[in-house]
Amino acid sequence: MPTRRLFLLGISFWLLAQPGAALRAELAVVVNARCGVAAMTRNEVINVFFGRSRQFFNSVEAQPVDMLDSHPDRARFYYKLLGKDLSEVNAYWSRQVFSGRSQPPVKVGNSEEVLKWVASHPGGIGFVEASRADARVRVVLELAN
Amino acid sequence: MWRGALVGLLALLAQPACAETDSPFSLQGFGTLGLARTSSDQVEFVRDLSQPSGIRKDWDGRADSVFGLQASWQISSQLTAVVQGNVRYHYDRSYDPQLAWAFLKYEPTPEWSLRLGRLGTEFFMMADSRWVGYSFLTVRPPGDYFWYLPFYSIHGGDAAYSVPLGDGLVRIKAFYGESNGRVPLADRQWDVEGSPMSGASLDYYRGGWHMRASYANIRASNDLPIAGVLQAYSPNPTASAAYLSTRNQRTDYYSLGVVYDQGPWQVQFMLNRIEQGNNALESSEGGYLLAGYRIRQVTPYLGYSWVHSRGNNHDGRPFIEQRIIADSHSDQTTSIVGARWDFASNLALKAQWDAIRGDASSIFPYRNEPASGRWSGRLDVYSVTLDFIF
Repeated sequence: MPTRRLFLLGISFWLLAQPGAALRAELAVVVNARCGVAAMTRNEVINVFFGRSRQFFNSVEAQPVDMLDSHPDRARFYYKLLGKDLSEVNAYWSRQVFSGRSQPPVKVGNSEEVLKWVASHPGGIGFVEASRADARVRVVLELAN
Repeated sequence: MWRGALVGLLALLAQPACAETDSPFSLQGFGTLGLARTSSDQVEFVRDLSQPSGIRKDWDGRADSVFGLQASWQISSQLTAVVQGNVRYHYDRSYDPQLAWAFLKYEPTPEWSLRLGRLGTEFFMMADSRWVGYSFLTVRPPGDYFWYLPFYSIHGGDAAYSVPLGDGLVRIKAFYGESNGRVPLADRQWDVEGSPMSGASLDYYRGGWHMRASYANIRASNDLPIAGVLQAYSPNPTASAAYLSTRNQRTDYYSLGVVYDQGPWQVQFMLNRIEQGNNALESSEGGYLLAGYRIRQVTPYLGYSWVHSRGNNHDGRPFIEQRIIADSHSDQTTSIVGARWDFASNLALKAQWDAIRGDASSIFPYRNEPASGRWSGRLDVYSVTLDFIF
């Protein structure tokens, strides 16, 4: 009996210790529905969001949109994409910016703005909760829990 | 003139709000407040050979403290102007503001990036962000690897081409320009202004992996500032000066690097080889292995680095020549233990212990070494830094 209680206690702590992300919905990487890209690999998405590549496989210029640190989707996205904490993502960008190489993607404050950005830019690409993706955009990668 | 232009430009660019997403202007900054002390008064520890004096047994802020400000102006979707100034301890023993970069970047297609102006050079991986403490794990870039690289920028241009390979990416870059620096040596300065530098690198990125091979060289425009010493101590100053001449001699820099940065792990493995085309400085090989593992906000790390130099055979040369050559000798390893704590957004606190163990003759990385050219070869360096970006 005490063993079981200890086990349950352990499990509860373990669950509490997990990032909130694990308990919530999937994230979807979405692109402009007319950009001609149907699917992307995780590594291709990493290339675009870390500013390494500025185009899709079909040579359309990629125009990524990120979210502000204050929005929980941002932390979930980078954690699911590469296992990285926001402090590490921001450290990465400080290297890119201050070496004069590149600037990070534009940041917006909520999912509707992400969808608007993606729909209004020919090469738009962003991330939203999977349930929010609508006809204006196409899901190219789902980031499972 | 550079300084006036810098202040004017920053004042001009400082007016719009920072980092507005829809503004073509942005003003960003970085900095480090650092304190360090060592376990010995025999030699002075420096961050790299651009620093004319270093730290001893008392807590000292000069080695690692820096403040930088960068303004960029997106002129069009393809053209950007970038200016960066910084304040830190530099070769002339002052903290005068310096213009680090001032260039135009032109990106005619998603594959190409061309830059022209005063640029950072990437002789080794991450060499162009060595002062942005927030961007890396350790207190400072491992010394055994970076000591030998006092050059930061060129007046010139570079071109980079990126092309997908599988779902990874290949980036090829080449640069050419003239050095604009000076290197402090003893109580003098080696003027390397106008020395041509060129180089190329090949990068491969895939997921959390980044691999890089690079080659670069510099052809020094001047001799070392040793004429006075040779005049005083050499039996034949003219012959000695010719033997130790660096003017128009080429130094080659080769490097290989692998970085794995995914999940809680951050691992770096780098190797370099520096071949001196002159008799005055010894060629060297160095490297480091660094591994960190993030546990929530804290990333403890362990590292090991080394540098060994070897001289040509100078048998029979006058004593003073051998002494000058011996000044460029290094033969040591460093064990690194530390932790980075990301305690708040855009702020990091780090503490690190470097245990340097070397041969008594390993004096090139230090300042104000004993007149005998020998020391204990053992040095512990304790450092704390607060890094920030905004």
